[in-house]
Amino acid sequence: MAAPQLLNDIIQVLLQLAPAASLVALVLAGISLRREGGTTFLIGGGFTKWMFWVVVFATLVPLVGWFTSFGVATPLPSGGIGTSWLSSFQSDVSSFVTNFIVGRMATTLAAYFVLRAILDTASGGHPLPSILAAMFLLGTQTTYSLIQSYNTGSQFAAADVLDSLWNYLAGTIMPIAAGLAIVGAIINFATRRPVMRLVAVALAMLCVSGIWKLVLSMEA
Amino acid sequence: MSFNQGILNLTNWAGNVILPTLAGLFFAIAVLKFARSEPYAAAMYGGFLCLMASGLLRAMETFASQRAWNDPDVYWMSLVSLVDWICNVLMPVYAGLQVAAGALRMGIVTRIHPTEGWLRHFVAAGLCLLLSGLVRLAEFFVVRGTGGVT
Repeated sequence: MAAPQLLNDIIQVLLQLAPAASLVALVLAGISLRREGGTTFLIGGGFTKWMFWVVVFATLVPLVGWFTSFGVATPLPSGGIGTSWLSSFQSDVSSFVTNFIVGRMATTLAAYFVLRAILDTASGGHPLPSILAAMFLLGTQTTYSLIQSYNTGSQFAAADVLDSLWNYLAGTIMPIAAGLAIVGAIINFATRRPVMRLVAVALAMLCVSGIWKLVLSMEA
Repeated sequence: MSFNQGILNLTNWAGNVILPTLAGLFFAIAVLKFARSEPYAAAMYGGFLCLMASGLLRAMETFASQRAWNDPDVYWMSLVSLVDWICNVLMPVYAGLQVAAGALRMGIVTRIHPTEGWLRHFVAAGLCLLLSGLVRLAEFFVVRGTGGVT
């Protein structure tokens, strides 16, 4: 028996809203990043949870492919959304997320985080966590595009995206963060605070892949 | 805007704009501390380091690229390179500074204040130049010590 058109359309709507859900999760991940520290994140905390959902929503269709390999037929409806009101609902929600949440709200939140960075400094804290969270929020759209470019479309797409994000962190972000660590070490030195930790961290940030291989070789 | 570009610009701004500006502040602090007979070396060297942030990062990159990126020993080798650079490049330079300071004390300051410790500078200079030898000596003692007392 063929599935009713309305059911097919609802499935299509949900699948086509996955990118919007992914973007919302990315914004929430940025907020959680600040709440959990900014320069680091809690394992099992809000940031990791939301980033996981970002990846899941971005690779939803390939993930559904697992059901076929389990022997459960999951034919996804092809074509567009037949029901006009469902189609307009999908386009409205997508437009709301893209133009309002990502285009305006994320930018405004980032501005608040910059304000928070100044207030953090005034109260004896460190401005970097709020600044990093603001940058994460401002880069929401680009980060999502990056994640999409890592989507291999295979059943292992979610793991592939997470692998590629790790490579991006280790190969692109960490060497830049090493520069920040050196800046911090210099300021610590001039103000007579501990330096060696930051120097060792700067070196480690430049050697992340090597340290990973070291752990692998120790485990073997 | 991407997160990557943002953090890169932040690093460049902090390292190439803010730190050179702070260098002047640290030099001023060093002068003030010197005038009050307080320890001023950290502020003075901090001022120099502020002007060398990019160079220090390049040095760290050089230390971290002594082996291939996927070599398990890359972190160890980068630490070895750092230690080697400090002990065999920086410390001999520091030895030269200590010799100069010792000579100054012996030739000039001693006449004003005879109990000034000029010898300490020469000993420090000697130790700076003997660092590798001191490590080898310590290793020798430890190796001999494993035999126990006979």
